[in-house]
Amino acid sequence: MVDVHLPRSAARAAKAALRKPNPGIRTFSQNVFISRAEQEQEQEHDVAGRSKEPNPKTYSAQEPPWLADKPVAIKDNIATADLPTTCASGILQNHQSPFEASVVEQLRSIGASIIGKTNMDEFGMGSHSTNSFFGTVTNRPPFDRFSVGGSSGGSAVAVAEKLVDIAIGTDTGGSVRLPAAYSGVVGFKPSYGVISRWGVVPYANSLDTVGILAQSSEQVFKAFLSMREHDPRDPTSLSEKSRMRAFTNGREKWREVRDQNRKDFQKLRIGVPEQYNIFELDGKTRRAWQLALMLFQDQGCTIVPISLPNTEKALPAYYVLAMAEAASNLSKYDGVRYGTRSKSSDGAGDVLYSKSRGEGFGDEVKRRILLGSYALSSDAIDNYFIKAQKVRRLVQQDFDRVFSMPNPLRDPEQFDLSEMDESIPLNNKLGPSQVDLIVCPTSPTPAPNLDDIANQRPVDAYINDVFTVPASMAGLPAISVPLKRRHKDGPKFDGMQIIGQYSDDDRVITVAHELEKLLKLDDEKWSRTEGIQGQL
Amino acid sequence: MARIAPRVLRSYLFGGQVLARGCLRRNPVRSPALQRYHGTQASLADTEPGPSISIPFRKQLKDEAKRRKAEGFGKKSKEDNQKLEDWELTVGIEIHAQLNTARKLFSSAASTINDVPNTHVALFDVAMPGSQPSFQKETLIPALRAALALNCTIQKTSKFDRKHYMHWDQPSGYQITQYYEPFARDGHITLYAHDGIAKEDGDRIDIGIKQIQMEQDTAKTISQPGDIHLLDFNRVGLPLIEIITLPQIHHPSTAAALVRKVQIILNSVDACVLGLQSGGLRADVNVSVRRRDGEEGENEYSGVKGLGKRTEIKNLSSFKAVEDAIIAERDRQIEVLNAGGKIEGETRGWTIGSTETRRLRGKEGEVDYRYMPDPDLGPVIIGQDLIDHLHESLGVLPDHEINILVDDYGLTTKDAMSLVSLNEGGRHEYFRDVVDELQRLAPDQDLKEAGRLAGNWVLHEMGGLSNVEVDEEDPLRITSDGDCIIPSAQLAQLVHYLDTSKITGKSAKKVLYELFSSGGSKSTKDLIDEAGLWFTPLSVAEYEELAKSILDMKVVEQILAGKDGKVNFLVGQMMRKDGDGRVDPQQAAMVLRKLIEEFRK
Repeated sequence: MVDVHLPRSAARAAKAALRKPNPGIRTFSQNVFISRAEQEQEQEHDVAGRSKEPNPKTYSAQEPPWLADKPVAIKDNIATADLPTTCASGILQNHQSPFEASVVEQLRSIGASIIGKTNMDEFGMGSHSTNSFFGTVTNRPPFDRFSVGGSSGGSAVAVAEKLVDIAIGTDTGGSVRLPAAYSGVVGFKPSYGVISRWGVVPYANSLDTVGILAQSSEQVFKAFLSMREHDPRDPTSLSEKSRMRAFTNGREKWREVRDQNRKDFQKLRIGVPEQYNIFELDGKTRRAWQLALMLFQDQGCTIVPISLPNTEKALPAYYVLAMAEAASNLSKYDGVRYGTRSKSSDGAGDVLYSKSRGEGFGDEVKRRILLGSYALSSDAIDNYFIKAQKVRRLVQQDFDRVFSMPNPLRDPEQFDLSEMDESIPLNNKLGPSQVDLIVCPTSPTPAPNLDDIANQRPVDAYINDVFTVPASMAGLPAISVPLKRRHKDGPKFDGMQIIGQYSDDDRVITVAHELEKLLKLDDEKWSRTEGIQGQL
Repeated sequence: MARIAPRVLRSYLFGGQVLARGCLRRNPVRSPALQRYHGTQASLADTEPGPSISIPFRKQLKDEAKRRKAEGFGKKSKEDNQKLEDWELTVGIEIHAQLNTARKLFSSAASTINDVPNTHVALFDVAMPGSQPSFQKETLIPALRAALALNCTIQKTSKFDRKHYMHWDQPSGYQITQYYEPFARDGHITLYAHDGIAKEDGDRIDIGIKQIQMEQDTAKTISQPGDIHLLDFNRVGLPLIEIITLPQIHHPSTAAALVRKVQIILNSVDACVLGLQSGGLRADVNVSVRRRDGEEGENEYSGVKGLGKRTEIKNLSSFKAVEDAIIAERDRQIEVLNAGGKIEGETRGWTIGSTETRRLRGKEGEVDYRYMPDPDLGPVIIGQDLIDHLHESLGVLPDHEINILVDDYGLTTKDAMSLVSLNEGGRHEYFRDVVDELQRLAPDQDLKEAGRLAGNWVLHEMGGLSNVEVDEEDPLRITSDGDCIIPSAQLAQLVHYLDTSKITGKSAKKVLYELFSSGGSKSTKDLIDEAGLWFTPLSVAEYEELAKSILDMKVVEQILAGKDGKVNFLVGQMMRKDGDGRVDPQQAAMVLRKLIEEFRK
């Protein structure tokens, strides 16, 4: 498991080298991390990636903070004051942020040791972590030809390989959940606006969330608690007042929340959206979904078929909105104040910065800037951007209609039965049945092969986000829990997604915790059966 | 690991300087007159060493006179007049004004004008990756005042949009503005003859205001030889309002009058920092012409139909530039159309002193701004209570002010306009202080009488004061609050002594100069004491002596022959001879008649 073992003298040079693309031999760690704290690099000989002798720090509290001296990895689109923040882009390849993101400050304040910045798709644009200026993020052999998922691929692998306990990613349309599913870890995307985005380089501001990747839901929850606070520097951060209203139970301890939800667990109503049972759904993934639902049902939960009729439109609408916002956000990269700059004069022919931007951005980023700019152009905005906003509203309404818990950010809506889509099954004459949570796969297929991806059209790669995008469009909390696959080829994971109503983050995580436990029991049972079968 | 060097931090953050001047700072209310100006007026004198911003009123009057002369004497060629009979000009104006705020629109960096470059810059101002805007609510106050003063309807909900274009002075690649939902709509501004509108517009004209929006300023580019452009980010993100008028202006002088009036109004409600001349106000004009008798034009702008194709002239920075550029562009368009050509919808520029507008970019070079709602910024919700409060505390607008000065204080319109526009309204404050003091000294005096007396001294007598040692531009050092090198109480005392014949007019002028040159360190009374200028009436003997000294027998004979009016001539002689102005004409006439009667005997 030893990847990099550098003497102190070489550390600085190695770090500098890490910033440059390395077409030759790249170590595993170089694929996962874009830059690393020097101190941690030297201590990497520990198998778990933890420092054997943590820095003796003094804590004023009697109990050391939960993350005291524990290694944490940060996705490289989140600003750190000590390590470069490149967003895996050529244009920011040497960018040292002058300030630190709120989430990094929060994690440091509870003792976390930031050991490195993880590789990703450039500016978060991708589903397989292949679009990085610093090279593709890969799994360890023998699965190194399988996608780790994106765009927070480096963070997911860092957790999967136990290099860190907690890794921070960002999720715009599934960028935490998808790599979690492909890499076999837990990935959580909170309700929009709950964790501060100050210092997070935006992809699409109205969809961006900071997400958490960890080995278990319990770790996710603890990290979530330490980052869940209002930040006046982020104008989209949920206000104190709304927090008081939305998080009424106000429980601050993992155990309290877990025990409370465990009490109600048997009464849980779990929704199964029929629109997610698509033709493209992998057979084994469908069986994993059935298994998860059966486990819930065995515990006394009620499984309820539901309809989210606008699911199909969510994906194209998502890409229109995300690309439009991205094109706008990326206009700041001109090489004038920071970032790389073309060596030649860059104002010829009335087109400013075409060289700096042309050289600095990767192909996928350029593609999305063009598409986003088109969606906003005066000829196309009505047909694309405005329509997509309307679809977004419909997707939100779909969720508000099926969740029994009202959306704390919106006035309760009366849904006219006559206007309701025919596909929605009515529970009784009062309307469709309502549910507490939705359970569905995180992705229609397990991790695809990188060679297949290379032969895909760009649009094909967008399909991977079909199950993660709706929750992003509605700003809902969602978590991906890994299920072991019972077949031999490829990484043995499927991601199962639990989606909750806005602000129902706690329940989403605790139910994921219950599912983890049930899966573990089931795995043991399954192993035993397999063992018996082997004997026969 | 390496921490951020303090020097770097300083350049990213806003220089550590915390400004005491807040938009909401309340000045102690000094006089009833000041209350009309509400308590939030930031004193510019203590924060800005920059250029003085008084409205160039004298220049206005001069321009006005020139214009009238030009019109009156028909200096325009016959050909030109013929053109204007056939063609109608239509103009709409966009005015950008920098709001008077302590901070930038979306960051807490301080608003400064002439500070060391790049010392007031927040992370967001330079679009540092990961930084986010933070709307400074206080910037709404001057913006709302401006909108209310321009009779706009304040929108309960307004939103911010991104307007995309790339330029080095625009760090984020877009300007945050209010395109889809501006905060104010449907206003109007009334221009009167005294504002300098074209005589064809009659006594008054209303020009509609389509909308007012808030937006960010750009960075300042300092160009140097060798194609070097230095950037000062102190200005980037400063709050501006853009005022968009309807295309309802048909004369170049009316357009200039509108811009001037907008400036006076913005200053009077304390919304604006700098005047047009100092770069705090910039105007873009759009110009079109159409035949008066022919078919209607095909174009519709801001809901006004039947207009000719318009062109836009950007970045006009003086009233004269507005007027001259419109004239030049009007004439160019008429020429093109008369020659059978077509007007292209294009952007044109104007250089001061030139006679022609020049093409900057055509339609094909037009930028698609790809307006998009800013996803980081929520809507701005403005409560009715705030609007009501600002409406109530808005104070009296210049037009109403002028009416009060004319009707209640007995001033001429011309003097009233001078008072209102001089020293950013400070001259007016000072005038009101003097009148208040006069009323205290002589409670029975008619307000009009006191107003006329004070007006004469504050405008005309004080206007003549100058001192080589003192700053030539503003020798009286009148602040916008109405403070002056000559304390108002002392001037009122002086006027009162004169009015009650305690001193003569000639002495009063001497004392005024002494008050001025002593810098207000001595009281009026002390100065009169020192110089012994108290008026003591002449005794009868002194009158007689004086009368005898000037008596001319020829004149006496004429008077005796019945030309009684010649007595006044002799009175005048006596007054001239006295030199101290102590001769009372009635007394003198009486003494003279007595002496002349003696000759008859």
